[in-house]
Amino acid sequence: MSYKEHSDQDLVRLCLKTDERAARELVERFERPVFSLVYRMVRDRELAEDLTQEVFVRTFNNLQRYDRSYKFSSWLFKIAYNLTVDHLRKKQVKTISMHGSPDAVTPERQQATSLSLESDEESPDAMVEARELAGYLEDAIARLRPEYRTAILLRHVEGRPYEEIADIMGVPLGTVKTYIFRARRELRDLLEDRWDGGDEE
Amino acid sequence: MNTNHQERARHLQAEELEALAIPGDHRLPARSSAHAAECDRCRRDVEELQTLHVLLQALTPLQPVVGFTDRVMQRVRLPLPWRVRVLQAVRKHQVATAAAFAGAAAAVGVGLVWIARYPELTPMTIAALLVQRSTTLMWSGVMEVGRFVYGSGIVETAQGVAGQLTLVTAFVAVATVTLIGLASLRIMLSLMDVDPALVTSHWQLRRRVRG
Ligand SMILES: [Zn+2]
Repeated sequence: MSYKEHSDQDLVRLCLKTDERAARELVERFERPVFSLVYRMVRDRELAEDLTQEVFVRTFNNLQRYDRSYKFSSWLFKIAYNLTVDHLRKKQVKTISMHGSPDAVTPERQQATSLSLESDEESPDAMVEARELAGYLEDAIARLRPEYRTAILLRHVEGRPYEEIADIMGVPLGTVKTYIFRARRELRDLLEDRWDGGDEE
Repeated sequence: MNTNHQERARHLQAEELEALAIPGDHRLPARSSAHAAECDRCRRDVEELQTLHVLLQALTPLQPVVGFTDRVMQRVRLPLPWRVRVLQAVRKHQVATAAAFAGAAAAVGVGLVWIARYPELTPMTIAALLVQRSTTLMWSGVMEVGRFVYGSGIVETAQGVAGQLTLVTAFVAVATVTLIGLASLRIMLSLMDVDPALVTSHWQLRRRVRG
């Protein structure tokens, strides 16, 4: 049986027997979602990579303390969330200054973000439009409070249920619902101009 | 009119909107879809949520640069099985291990000599004797400690101190003891190679009940 076919829990069990290939498979399996979440929180590629690396190192180096009755990805996202929020708390000033230039779509940001709506069959115009929309969406997400951002990304991008998001963020279920409700409303308001624009043009 | 009509007229709740907008295994009451079909406001809310969900779903997962996995793996130290850890500890603290072994061997040797002096002893009588001897030894130890404490005047000194104890000195004493306790806990965790931040987050996770 190849490592790709193993469940997360099986791979964790193998890691506890010091199987490095199992650990590598888990890193490959989760590096994209964890990096995506962390990047969208800190908006700095290099920093996001450092933090993501730290998330995996901490996760594996403390694997013996992982309770296997929980999903492995919950534990991983929880460590990612705590680490990122700690970092943001220390660097609060930076986040605020970023809010000052809402429409600035830097080349780095444009490169890092794109909608997977675009495909080879689409016309160049549609691709440009999708890319532009992705940029606006990423900027709108960046303007949300970190708690709202995490909650809405976990819900809509990662498709996590509310209870799991509450676990990951360490807040009550009701709080998660409030976060997601407000995040949606703020995103809708921020994207107001673009919202129907695509249909009318 | 009737309650059924009123129920149908109520605008959709957040859960209902989500169940209508996001495909999944939600169970939706019949009245929700019926209401959405009739109510412009709720239909618009569902459509908006749908659009937002589709847009967010379409965000490409971001990828760390090439070589990321290798760099992570270089830093990862997977937990070793306990046998290996014991062996490593032995290798690291050779003198201490040798001393411990010598001590244990000496104790066993003394025990054997002691038993050999009484050839009539059976395993049962040896066990009974051991229990009796160790109980006696333990009690005499307790008595010795008690005698020492009283003899040394510690009790009188403590009573004297208690007489002069002010709120401030009590606070300082409690604070000092707490700090020493916390410091030793931290040292213990670091010796056990535990990241203290993870201990708390794991406890938070455990506290939550989940299916
Ligand atoms: Zn309605």
